[in-house]
Amino acid sequence: MHDTGTMGGSTSELAVDIAGLTRVEGEGSLRLRVRDGAVEEARLEIFEAPRYFERLVVGRTPDEVIDIVARICGICPVAYQMTAVHAFEHALGIEIEPEVRALRRLLYCGEWIESHALHVYLLHLPDFLGYPSALDMAHDHRAAVEAGLKLKRAGNRIVELIGGRAIHPVSVRVGGFSRSFRRTEITALLEDVAAALEIALRTVDLVAGLETPHFERDGRLVALRHPDEYPMNEGRIVSSDGLDLAATDWRSEFSEQQVAWSNALQSRGRDGRPYLLGPAARISLAGDRLHPTAAAALAGTGLAAEIAVNPYRSIVARAIELVDATAEALDIVEAYQPPEAAGVPWRPAGGSAAWATEAPRGLIFHAYELDDRGLVSHAQIVPPTSQNQAAIEADLAAFAPRVLDLPHDVAVLRIEQLVRSYDPCISCATHFLELTVETVP
Amino acid sequence: MTIKQEPAPFGAPAILDRSPRAATSLGVEVLVCGSPDRGDDGAPIRAAALIGHRMPVDVRVRIVGQLDIDDLLAVPRDAGVVIVDAAVGIPPGRIVERPVTGLVGRDDGFRARSSHALAFPEVIGLAGLIRNRPMRGLIVAIGGSHFELGAPLSRRVAVALPALADAIVQAVERTRLFDST
Repeated sequence: MHDTGTMGGSTSELAVDIAGLTRVEGEGSLRLRVRDGAVEEARLEIFEAPRYFERLVVGRTPDEVIDIVARICGICPVAYQMTAVHAFEHALGIEIEPEVRALRRLLYCGEWIESHALHVYLLHLPDFLGYPSALDMAHDHRAAVEAGLKLKRAGNRIVELIGGRAIHPVSVRVGGFSRSFRRTEITALLEDVAAALEIALRTVDLVAGLETPHFERDGRLVALRHPDEYPMNEGRIVSSDGLDLAATDWRSEFSEQQVAWSNALQSRGRDGRPYLLGPAARISLAGDRLHPTAAAALAGTGLAAEIAVNPYRSIVARAIELVDATAEALDIVEAYQPPEAAGVPWRPAGGSAAWATEAPRGLIFHAYELDDRGLVSHAQIVPPTSQNQAAIEADLAAFAPRVLDLPHDVAVLRIEQLVRSYDPCISCATHFLELTVETVP
Repeated sequence: MTIKQEPAPFGAPAILDRSPRAATSLGVEVLVCGSPDRGDDGAPIRAAALIGHRMPVDVRVRIVGQLDIDDLLAVPRDAGVVIVDAAVGIPPGRIVERPVTGLVGRDDGFRARSSHALAFPEVIGLAGLIRNRPMRGLIVAIGGSHFELGAPLSRRVAVALPALADAIVQAVERTRLFDST
């Protein structure tokens, strides 16, 4: 972090330039200007270079696309794979076996565990306990760090087993997987996952007791909602103000736009409003679908209502989802029966494909056009962070006046902590294709 | 990863500051970072392919991709470690060497190039803390310029691959001979 701001002895002005945001995924900075108590500027500047994945997949088969989009992110590759494979299967009318569906959900659980454990214990917890880094925190809270690493390791093991490797997995195929899994292979996860569930429950106790800044945002929440289960691979797109869309229809309500200060496209509702995705949105909009163990943990915190409005409580939401993902993973592992085949046969065809799933950081949307040979001719990939960017800026603008009376270093820490509350994945957000350069004569 | 450039090119003794006669031979693990399909990020893996027959029997070479704490925790307690990675912040093709412990607490000038993991100083520091013993060994880094998916090795990095292989071998030898007691 390089804060160049000053407060100049005034309690009505604040200038913060954090040139390199730390403990977020990717390279970005923050620019905040408050004058006479009014916010003049609140920008999350994303300068990580565009990565052109939407162009890289053109001319590729659906199975190639599934492997390529996994490379967008090292921490949430499964989200890209799951969204793409469901889009293609929906477009091609492919029905997968129930056992394959369960395995995919287990794979997604692994990613949620891995991602949330990393964020809760190594990226976000140091903020709450007053340490500049996980390493500094570990000197005094070694047991917590070791618990977080063990939890993350359990997630890694699931992804590694089913995905073929822990980072950028390679096993997902249209119609199923590249191979089937024996029951003994899956049940080998039992001990680790059961231990992870215990740690996840202790994590809820730990983070629910953390002192958090008071802040209530008044913004729109968006997530998937499924009739029977906590949303991952399936569900309808719903919002806190009554939206209800099919997972294929994201573009009828939302759109991407470019802003001058960011290499990531920002998404907003068609009416221009920002919206927030992620664990807090999911718990607010689909909390009644949590695994019973996670639902009980959430009830025990008494924080369900606050999670919906205070971003600093997102660490609790992630902990609840750690319980949900580990509990569900345990159920799937215990009940697992191998499918009759690794996948179902299918034939390439043209058409339009679209789908949304729930990445650890929130709803992710993909749309593809397939030509007559079944090759991708156009792609749109909308990750959670680019959708959250406008909401983060709006929340920063709303929050900044509250820290004017604090010592400058405390104010900066509060603001950084707020940004980390959204767990932004800047690398994902800069995958996009079109960079418009406008020249003025 | 990003290295703040300092005038310490490969070849300068980093941790070996004692007579070889007094040293004890210990096992070494070589942890090779990077991704072969991301341009210069693949240089360590390509260089590792050149060294297999030159490694002593007590040396294990592992391709780890993104260095994780668990990779370091898997190193035998008494073994040393040589971490090989591509870097920005130094000229493409230039090879530098640093002691692993020298990075801890230096997150100002040494940060993860890939943001999906903790920075090297934190990974190494946390591993040492959990092991109750600081990691012992060297980091060998080669400067790169192109890391895009599908990019080939840049010319200067490709030319430097034999030198990188030599640097790994020499780093292994120095780490093996270093007596940590």
